[in-house]
Amino acid sequence: MVKVGIIGAGYIAASHADAYDTHPDAELVYVTDPRPEKSEALARRYGATVVEHSDELLASDVDVVSVCTPSPTHAALTIAAVAAGKHVLCEKPLARSLADAERMVEAARRGPGMLMVGHVSRFEPDHRAARDAVMSGRIGALRMMSQSITSGFPTWSQDGWFADPERSGGPLVDLAIHSFDYLTWVCDAVPEQVHAVGSSRPDGLTDYAVATVRYDNGALAVVETSWAHPPGHGLVVTTELAGTEGRLAWDSAGTSVGAMNTSSGATRHFSQLGSRGFHRQIAAFLEAVMTGGPPPVSAQEGLLALQISLAAVESLRTRSVVRLSDIAARADS
Amino acid sequence: MPATVDTVLLGCAHALHARSYAGALEAGRSGRLVGVYDESAELGGRLAVELGVDYYRDPQHLLESLRPAAAIVCSSTSEHRGLVTMAAAHGVHILCEKPLASSPRDASAMVRACGDAGVQLHTAFVSRFYPVLQEVRAVITGGELGQVRGMVGGNRGRPPLPPRYPRWITEAERAGGGALIDHSVHVLDAMRFVSGLEASEVAAEIGTLFGDTEVEDSALVSVVFDSGAVASIDPSWSVMPESPWDYDFYLRVLGTEGSLSIATGRESVSVSGQYDGRSFVHVPFEPDIDQTMVDAFLRSVQEGHVLDPCASGEDGLRAVELATAAYESAATGQFVPVPRDRDG
Repeated sequence: MVKVGIIGAGYIAASHADAYDTHPDAELVYVTDPRPEKSEALARRYGATVVEHSDELLASDVDVVSVCTPSPTHAALTIAAVAAGKHVLCEKPLARSLADAERMVEAARRGPGMLMVGHVSRFEPDHRAARDAVMSGRIGALRMMSQSITSGFPTWSQDGWFADPERSGGPLVDLAIHSFDYLTWVCDAVPEQVHAVGSSRPDGLTDYAVATVRYDNGALAVVETSWAHPPGHGLVVTTELAGTEGRLAWDSAGTSVGAMNTSSGATRHFSQLGSRGFHRQIAAFLEAVMTGGPPPVSAQEGLLALQISLAAVESLRTRSVVRLSDIAARADS
Repeated sequence: MPATVDTVLLGCAHALHARSYAGALEAGRSGRLVGVYDESAELGGRLAVELGVDYYRDPQHLLESLRPAAAIVCSSTSEHRGLVTMAAAHGVHILCEKPLASSPRDASAMVRACGDAGVQLHTAFVSRFYPVLQEVRAVITGGELGQVRGMVGGNRGRPPLPPRYPRWITEAERAGGGALIDHSVHVLDAMRFVSGLEASEVAAEIGTLFGDTEVEDSALVSVVFDSGAVASIDPSWSVMPESPWDYDFYLRVLGTEGSLSIATGRESVSVSGQYDGRSFVHVPFEPDIDQTMVDAFLRSVQEGHVLDPCASGEDGLRAVELATAAYESAATGQFVPVPRDRDG
C-alpha cells in the first residue's frame, strides 16, 4: 500500500482524499492544516490521523504527499517534501512566482522524490477524449483553439486568499492556467507571446480576462476566464479546437447527460464528469510512484503554464504584448 | 402608401450578397430593382438578365438615365468609395456592403460625401437584424445586466474561395485584408450595437492557418472600450468543408449584474443523410435577416431618416477604424489606440 499524506485540508484536498480513498493501492494516513478543525474534519471522514505540522508529516513514513495549500506556500512545502524523498502531487498553479516555480523544477531534478503538478484537466474524460481525437489526426493539424471557463467567485478560500491578487493571481493564474496547460499540451507547440485584456472589480481584483496566445508553429489560442459571473451561472466550460481537416467542440451544458427539475424550482444536471478527473489524475500519479516512472505532468510543464499565466498578468498590467522569453529572462535575473 | 423606392445595384462583384439583396427587393413591397451596374459586363450583364433589368457599363450613365432613389453597393471593397460618392452626388440614398471601405480615410470620405449631399448612407451590418441581438440590446439598455464588463464574440465562416466566391475577396488590395476585416466588422458592430460602447484600444494576432490565401484567414482581436470594458473577437475563416454548418455568430456578455450568451446557429435542425456531398448538416431556420435589413433600408428612404436598428455610415466607419488598428497591432506586436474620426 502506498501511504499518503495531505498538506492543506481545504476545498481541493477533499477531491484528493476521495480519490486516494477509492484507489485500491493507496491509504490516506495523515492530514495536516494550520486550522485543526479543517484537518480534523477531513481526517475523520477518511479515517486518517491529524498531525499538527507539515514537518511531522514529512518526517513520517508516508510515501507520497499531496500539496493542497494556497499557491504561495507550494514551493517551500514541495521542495522540502521532494528532498525528504516523498513523491509529491502539487496542486496547480505550480507556484505563485516564476522564481519559486524554477526552484521547484530544480528540486524535482535533484529528487529523490518525484514531483507531479495537478493539472487535472488533462485527466478529465471530456478533455482527454478531445485530445485523443486530435492525436489520432481526426481534425488535421491543430491551428486555432479556444477555451472558456467561467464561474462565480469561489467561496471556499481560507481567509479569502483567492480575492488577494498577491496570493492567488486572480483567475488568470488560478483558473485560466488549466486552459493554458491543456491547450499547450494538446497542440504540442511552444507558446511564444501573449496578450490579455481584463476587467477588475471595485477592490482591484481582475476577476475577468481574455488572453490570446501565439505558439511557435503559428497556432493561436484564446482563453476566457472569469470569477465574475453571477452565482446561478455555475461553472461553464466551453472548448473548441479547429484544425486543417476539421473542428471539435464541446461544452458543459452539451455534455450533461440529463437534468431534473423539482417543485422547489431548482434544476439539477446529471453531469457524469464529477470526480472522474481527480480519480484518474491520482491513479496516474500512483502508477508513476509504484513503477518509478516519470511524473505524468512534470514540474517543467507546470512552469510553462505558469509562464503563460504570468505573461497574461504582465500584459494586463503594462497593456502590451508580452513575449514569454522576456518573462522567463526576468525571473532569472 | 409611400412611393416605391427605385433601386439600383452599383457593382455586383459580391455576387452572392448582390443576389440576396436583389431577391429581398423583389420579395419586399417597398422597392424595386431598376438597373444594374458592374465594371464587368460579363458579371453585371448576366445578373441584369437574370433579374430582368437593364445592365449599364457606366455608373454615371445609369444614375442619370434611371434617376433612382436608392442604390445598393456590392462592388469589391476598394470600389466602394468611388461608387458611394458618385451616388451621393446624384442625391441617391445608399446601402453599402461591409466593410464600408478598406481604410478609415476612404470610409470617412464616404460618410462626409453622403452628409454633404444630404443622403443616407447605410452599412450592411446584417447581424443587427437578428431579433435576438435586438433583445440583447434591450436587456442591456434596460440595465438588467448592470454595466457591461466583458464580451466575447465570433463570426466564423468558410474560406470565401472560388467558385462560390469571387477571387477579389481574398486579395489584399481589393478587399482591404482577409478574415479580420471581413468578419470582425460584424462582431464589433454587434458589440457596439448592444452596449453603446466605443473601442479605444486594440491588440490582434493574425495568421494564415487553414489555407494558402494571400490574405490572413485567421485572427483573434482583443478590444478595450472607452468604459474600460473589454472584448475578444474571432472572425476567422476556420470552417472546413466537413463542417455541418457554414458560419456562426455568437456573443457572450458579462455585466456587473449578470451574464448572457447567444449563438444564432442553434436555430437549426440537425440532419443526418447523404446529401450534397455531406452526411450531416445543420439546416438553419433563422430569420431572413438580409430581407429585414433591405426592408428597413427602403423604409428609411421612404421616411427620410435612418431607422433603428439600421447601421449608418458612421457605424461602418467605426468598424473600419478598429480593423485597421487591429492590422497595425498584428504587424507591430503592440496594443494600438483606435483613432476616431470625430467628423465621421
